[in-house]
This record gives sequence, C-alpha cells and structure tokens, in this order.
Amino acid sequence: METDKHKNENKNREHETLLQVFIRSFFRNKLGVIGLIGVIIIILVALLAPYIVEPVSGYGDFENILNPPSQAHPFGTDDMGLDIFSQVIWGTRTSLQVGFLTVLIALVIGVPIGLISGYFDNFLATIGMGLTDVFLTLPVLPLMIIMAAVIGSDIKNIALVIGLFSWPKLARITRASTLSVRNMEYITAAEGLGASNFKILYKHVLPNVSAPILVNMTIIIATAILSEAGLSFLGLGDPLTWSWGKILENAHQSGAFLSAWWYSLFPSLAIMFFVVSFNFIGMGIREALNPKLRQR
Amino acid sequence: MTNYIIKRIIRGIITLLIAVSVTFLILRFMPGDPTTIMLDPRMNEAARARLLKEFGLDKSLIVQYFLYIRQLLKGDLGYSFIYRTPVTQVILSRLPWTLLLMGLTQVVTMLIGIPLGVIAGYRKGTLLDHLINAFTIFGISVFIPWLGITLLYFFGYRIPIFPIGGAYTPGVEGITYLKDVFMHLVLPVLTLTLIYLANYVLYMRASMVDVLSEDYIRTARSKGVTENTVVWKHAVRNALIPTVTMAGLLLGRMVSGAVLTETIFSFPGVGRMIYEAVGQQDFPVLQGAFLILAISVIAMNILTDLIYAYLDPRVQLN
Repeated sequence: METDKHKNENKNREHETLLQVFIRSFFRNKLGVIGLIGVIIIILVALLAPYIVEPVSGYGDFENILNPPSQAHPFGTDDMGLDIFSQVIWGTRTSLQVGFLTVLIALVIGVPIGLISGYFDNFLATIGMGLTDVFLTLPVLPLMIIMAAVIGSDIKNIALVIGLFSWPKLARITRASTLSVRNMEYITAAEGLGASNFKILYKHVLPNVSAPILVNMTIIIATAILSEAGLSFLGLGDPLTWSWGKILENAHQSGAFLSAWWYSLFPSLAIMFFVVSFNFIGMGIREALNPKLRQR
Repeated sequence: MTNYIIKRIIRGIITLLIAVSVTFLILRFMPGDPTTIMLDPRMNEAARARLLKEFGLDKSLIVQYFLYIRQLLKGDLGYSFIYRTPVTQVILSRLPWTLLLMGLTQVVTMLIGIPLGVIAGYRKGTLLDHLINAFTIFGISVFIPWLGITLLYFFGYRIPIFPIGGAYTPGVEGITYLKDVFMHLVLPVLTLTLIYLANYVLYMRASMVDVLSEDYIRTARSKGVTENTVVWKHAVRNALIPTVTMAGLLLGRMVSGAVLTETIFSFPGVGRMIYEAVGQQDFPVLQGAFLILAISVIAMNILTDLIYAYLDPRVQLN
C-alpha cells in the first residue's frame, strides 16, 4: 500500500519495523487499549472459569428463588434459585467460542469472494458481487432462525449458522479494498512479469487488503455475539451450555424480569462489555493503520 | 428513468429468487427427511403419503425445486401446524403491524438521526460531537431485548405510563382506539429507534464532513450567506443524498430488531409470530414469514432506490 511507503519514508526512528510502528500507534489510542484490556479480561474469564466459580447444576435451590445480589450470589439468583454469576461467567465461554468460529467461517467464505469480485472482471466476479448485495439486503435473522431450527441448536451449529450469514460484510470490504489496489503499478508489474492470478492475489493483493479485513473481523465477532444472544433469546440456543441470551430468555419467559432487575441486568452488561470491547479494538486498529488518523 | 426502474425491478426479482432458493436448500438439504419438517408430525400415514405426492416430494430435487417455485407463485406457503390455516393468510393478517412498527421507526430515526448527524458533522471534534458519538456506540453495542426489557420495567411497570404489551386493548374503538394503538407503539418504537439511530447519525456525520469541505460551500460563505443557510440548506441537501441509501440497507437489519422487540412487547406482528413458531417447530410459518418479510424489504428497497435516482440526477445518466 502506498501508505506503507509513506510510513517508511517519514520514519524518524530507524530500524523500526512496520509492526512496531503499528503497535506503537495502537497503544497511543485510548479506545483501542481499553478494548484490548476488555478482550484480555474476557479471554481470561473464559479460560479460568473453572477456577472462578462452579458451574450451576441440578434443578436449582427452591429455598433461594430470585434472591437479590448478596455475598453468596454476587449477581443474585434466578427463578429456579440458580446462581446468575456462575451462569454469566460460564456464558463467556459460549460467546467467545461462537465469536471465533463465526469469524473463521466468515473469513473462509467472504475473503475469497471479495478478492475475486474485486480483482477479476468476469462472470464469476459479477456473481460474487451480486450474492454479496443480496445477502446484505435480505433480513438475515429470520433466515438464521429457520436454519438453526432445522439443523438443531448445538453450539457449533449456531456458530455455523451465524457465520454463513456474516460473510457479506467482509466480502464487500475486501472487494472495495481490492478494487483500490487493483490498478496500482506493482500489481501491473507483477502481471507483466507473468505471475499467475492466484499468486498475485495471494502474495500481492491479500497482504495489502488485510488491514480493513482485520478491522472488520472484530466487528463481526461483536455482531456474532449479539446474534447468538438473539437466537438464544428466541429459544434456539444450545440447551446444554450457558449463554447470556438464554439467561435473558429465562428472565423474559418467567416474567421475573419485572420483579428482579438483576436477572436481566448482569447478562446484558456482559454482552455490552463484550461487544464494546471488540468494537473498540476495531476502532483502535483502524486508527493505528490509517496514517491520516494516527496521532503522532 | 423507465430503463432504470425496469432494471431495478429485475434485480429485485433475482434477489427474491435467491432468497427462495436459499430457503429451499435449507429445508431440503438438511439431515433428516424433509417431510418430517414440512408436514405435521401428528398426521396419519395415509394422509402423509397423499401429501407427499401432492407436494411432489417423491420426485427428483430439480423437479421439486420447480414445483416449490410454482407453489410459491400461486401464493401457497403451506399450512401452519398451529393455526391449521394457510400460512399466507396468517402472516398477511400480522404483517400490517410489523410494517407499521418498522415504518414508524424508520421515520422517527430519520427525524432524530439526521439532524444529530448534521450537528456532529458541523461541530466535528467538539464535546457535543464526542457525546453524540458515544451515544451511537451505545446504540450499536446494546442487546435489543435488554433495552426493551429495561424500558418496559421503567415505563410500563415502575412508572406505568405505557401498556406493558400487545398493540391495542381489545374492545376499544374510534378515536380512543387510535390513541390506544399509539400508546402501545411508543415503547417498541423507542427501543428500535435507540438501536438504529446510530446508523443515520454516523452516515450523516461522515457525509456532512465531506460536503462541508467542498468548494461550493466556501463560495456560499464568501458570498455572505448566513452560516445557518450554508449548513442547513446548501450542505444538508447534498449530504442527504447518500443517506437515502442507508434507509434501504437499514430495512433488512431492522427486521432482526423487530423480531426481538415484538417478542419482548408481545406485539402481534410477524416477528412475534416467528418467536411463537420457533417454540412450536412450525416450519411452514417460519419459512413463510421469512419469504414475506424478504418481499417487503425488497419492495421497499426498490422504492428507496427510485427516490435516490430522483434526488440524484447522476444516477439516471449511468
């Protein structure tokens, strides 16, 4: 990318690699750092869940139904007397799993479609672009609901369903970036030297469109969590795992959310914390990669 | 212009065809017999065999696909397991509520979002701009059911200004009926507005920043046109054009919000129906709801594109 060249020329600090420049500018951005800390906390909570709190099990504790937050139950208990804190902590694992699986699927489908429809000017490119547009206009939640209802609510299936409908955003951004490098001299030079299309796409185009892809990956993870919570809330979650959406579904279905504020508040805060963290990281990366926005 | 309209409608039909094909694929290529999914499990064997033949499920996939399309063209979406009536009929009776909810939300988000975006763009970098930005980040990060539940808790339960669910009180008629429906709509519309406001604000803000740096704005200023006229007349007019496309894109996404919001507020639209159908495993209804919502979104998208073409003469030249 041209901006990379600029970076090299303007560089006062010699012997500094591009990665170091990127890391330095990323850490100057407050939002990005806050997001990074948030994501690290989420990953730690997911990994250390067994050491933080025991998973809820059994049919509940009918002595302690809908108890407000206390020392024994920091987030209170639900309408079955189960500890909400434990459900929220263990729900982190579900969300993280769904987020990463989704973004993986979206990458595998979206990036090739974006590259092809941005680089070539043929039938295949038109189809790729058309499909992207179609899936951007269609209401995807009802589609996800049908598919989740058909294939069953295993957590991997949920991630598959969300991933299958999350790629269009990635495809569009990849296509736009590919279009902007498509006619640059180094691509023409590679073509002139007889490099194969695949090699050009893989070695020359992909590295230069990876920045916007990276930014969008974080946004896709954030959106995937909202989708997973939404599906769980509608009763399509995996019945065998803890999920923030499911806690809210229970709160809503039992009607207990009206009398017990803690029932819906804590899982929702967890969702918001997750989504905001990933969105902030995305903003941080975007600013660190964009020399116009970067604070020097 | 006629050419453009025809082209746009053809694209809409292709989009719809893809939507239909995707549902066909989902329903036929999934593990398990499609008949178990599309037919009522409580049906006896003889009736089942008859229906299988009627739907052509004993034929090859390609034939099935065309039969499926023919069936849809006739407006036949099958029978609902729960309601025991044609799906088309059930959904069409619910659709006006969803369209009302989404239409109102669209209008309110535009009326609030566009001016906010203009102000944020004009006062770029000020405290006001940052506040508006923080608010929009909240909008894209919040989980819709929680926002609904919270509003319901405060304004329906704690301070009972608004009804806690439904779309109307049975038995109310005349002017009171209109007022009653309005009161029922306030919280659902507010929920969706808070969520989707961000889209207009961010889009309008970016668009304003672009437009304000253009030459004709400087010319207007140096001519001595008042700042208010420059911003609200010269700049906003051009900045609005790309925002119209936002309205179209937002519709598809707003359906997701409508499903969740209607579920929370027991609003009798298609979204709430989808939620109920999930619980009952009523696949004909799920499929029908998706297709009819898709048709609505596609139709409204064509409409916004036509408005866009009307506003921006450059589109017609291409």
